[in-house]
Amino acid sequence: MAQPSGKYSYYVESRAGDVSDRPRKFLEAFAAVLEHSSYGIALDAYARVGAKCSRCAASCQLYEATGDPEDIPCLRSELLLRVYRRYFTYGGMLRARLFADFSLTDEYLDRMGEQFYRCTACRRCKLTCPFGVDHGLVTHLARYLLAEVGVIPKALVVSVREQLSGVGNTSAIPPAALRDTCEFLQDELKETYGVDVKFPIDVEGAEHVFFPAVSDYLLEPDTLMGNAAVMHVTGGSWTIGTGNFDGINYGLFYSDRMMERICKRVGAEVRRLKGRKVLVGECGHATRSAWLLPNFLGADAPPVVAFLQYTYRALAAGKLPLKREKIPERLTYHDPCNLARAGKITEEPREILKAISADFVEMTPNRTENYCCGGGGGTVSIDEIRAFRTKKMGKRKADQIRATGAKLVVAPCANCKKQLKEVCEDNGLEDVRIVGLHDLVLKCIDFGSTGGRHAE
Amino acid sequence: MQAWLEWARGPAFVFSFVFLLLGLLRHVALTAWEVAHVWRRAGDKKLPLGKLLRTTFLWLLPLTRLRNRFWFGLTSFVFHIAILVVPVFLAGHVALWARGLGLSWPAVPNAVADVLTLVAVVTAVLLLAQRVFSRATRSLSRFQDYALLPLIAVPFATGFLMMHPGSNPFDYQATFFVHVMSANLIFVLTPLTKLSHMVLMPSTQLVAELAWHWPVDSGSAVGRALGKEGDPV
Repeated sequence: MAQPSGKYSYYVESRAGDVSDRPRKFLEAFAAVLEHSSYGIALDAYARVGAKCSRCAASCQLYEATGDPEDIPCLRSELLLRVYRRYFTYGGMLRARLFADFSLTDEYLDRMGEQFYRCTACRRCKLTCPFGVDHGLVTHLARYLLAEVGVIPKALVVSVREQLSGVGNTSAIPPAALRDTCEFLQDELKETYGVDVKFPIDVEGAEHVFFPAVSDYLLEPDTLMGNAAVMHVTGGSWTIGTGNFDGINYGLFYSDRMMERICKRVGAEVRRLKGRKVLVGECGHATRSAWLLPNFLGADAPPVVAFLQYTYRALAAGKLPLKREKIPERLTYHDPCNLARAGKITEEPREILKAISADFVEMTPNRTENYCCGGGGGTVSIDEIRAFRTKKMGKRKADQIRATGAKLVVAPCANCKKQLKEVCEDNGLEDVRIVGLHDLVLKCIDFGSTGGRHAE
Repeated sequence: MQAWLEWARGPAFVFSFVFLLLGLLRHVALTAWEVAHVWRRAGDKKLPLGKLLRTTFLWLLPLTRLRNRFWFGLTSFVFHIAILVVPVFLAGHVALWARGLGLSWPAVPNAVADVLTLVAVVTAVLLLAQRVFSRATRSLSRFQDYALLPLIAVPFATGFLMMHPGSNPFDYQATFFVHVMSANLIFVLTPLTKLSHMVLMPSTQLVAELAWHWPVDSGSAVGRALGKEGDPV
């Protein structure tokens, strides 16, 4: 199962080496995607307007760390735009007739395969581009097309396979194990806080159907207990579905075809349970893929609530009973790109943190301009590129954390959490702890003598 | 020379200017058609219109967007102001517009136009220097990125010499000819090069958002088109 010939810095499955005639297949996929999606409108504009001003270079944390021109967002996007111009515009086709112009080769595809997985699609560069060129979109599309010729990091494809044709979720947790875990978490909450917090399973007609990053059930029990505790004290109507309890969608990172299938499973589970809303746990990409649900389900797509939004609304409405004592340690907040870059969720977590923390400090820059953790775009799952992720991609993040002096970093995203832990380990920040937001909320909830409002 | 100048100011100008207008109109029409096409097919018809308008407007007046690469951003901004104001609001040009179109508008004082003309030439040179000496920009640059800046400086430099015949070492009519023909060349090149951003720019934020709005079932449609529906993951 190793990579075919050491072409890429990440593993691809050996069967990917069997794909023949890749340039032709890549172009066929490109043609089909242009016809059936909406990427053409962006490529068409980007192929014409690009001013090549290099402002994006100054905003890319990878280029800042490596100084390699290949890592300039605009130059990377040009890899795909060149193919687009040559094969899908009249001017390009004419040029190819008149001159010995560029043609797509196997080697060129290999270069794309490497380059488009050096970008985390954090979209920070979009903010500094005068034309708003969305290099994250170009990376997203290029990876989709590369996947059609077998170039997919093994780490991503095995997760999606488990989800779509295996046990049904990326961590391969069978429903029976899920029930056990939830019972264990209930016992834990009873033991520690003396409250009967429930993890409702397969309750029909609940308002919210809960989709966390499924790995939270294995790795982040505190986050989940915090989620359940918030639902408990606010009297929220929610359920976990045994048919599908995984919000993870690695289709977002390499294939819209896979993303569609995963999104449809989410829609189907909400329908099965007669639920009304999708409640996404603390996870950036899961939230963003849920926001894309209407692309796949049309107008019938259930509304999406991110857990941060739910908790913030409860806090703002005075429905979240909190203890008087706040968390004394200095802490800082990391904005996950998928939540914050487009400005969708930036203030909610801050309001919550201000309510529970005595010493909350901001990283600089923050909110929409925050630096990516360095593991975005699914690259955090690719263990074989850890040195690249933490030393190059994650260098700015380490500097940012160091500058705050905080020993506690709050990151409401499963992928950011894993990456930030590794960034801190590899950059001499061993004493920094990375936690989810609801881990801290849990510690600050005032369950009261009767075990919280819901029990009253 | 007189005949050449008449040709440059007459048929050559009319051809270039019409080519410019039709070429830009084509860009606008194609973009509008694509926007409508994507919108009609999109599964998700909700657009953050307020945010898109705000971002578009902020980039059209990018003074709040200078933080990242301050001097480059400022130079570029000043360059754009100069090259937009002078051709349209120079008194001599206003008179020509009035004669050709029958429309008239206030002109900027010649002294201001003089300053802006020099600013245009100087900022063009500065931008070219930035392109040549910055490693990041150099590695991105194509032929047109280098060639367009000096080309744009030519009508401004020659225009300045025409306004100050006393300090013009060249023949007046030859200067005039170069002035008109370089402008004609820019008009022709505008729809064909990155200069087309002068009409595409206001649509780019909307386009970037729309590209994420696909038709329902776009993934399975691609799978069907490629005959991969039944393939294992």
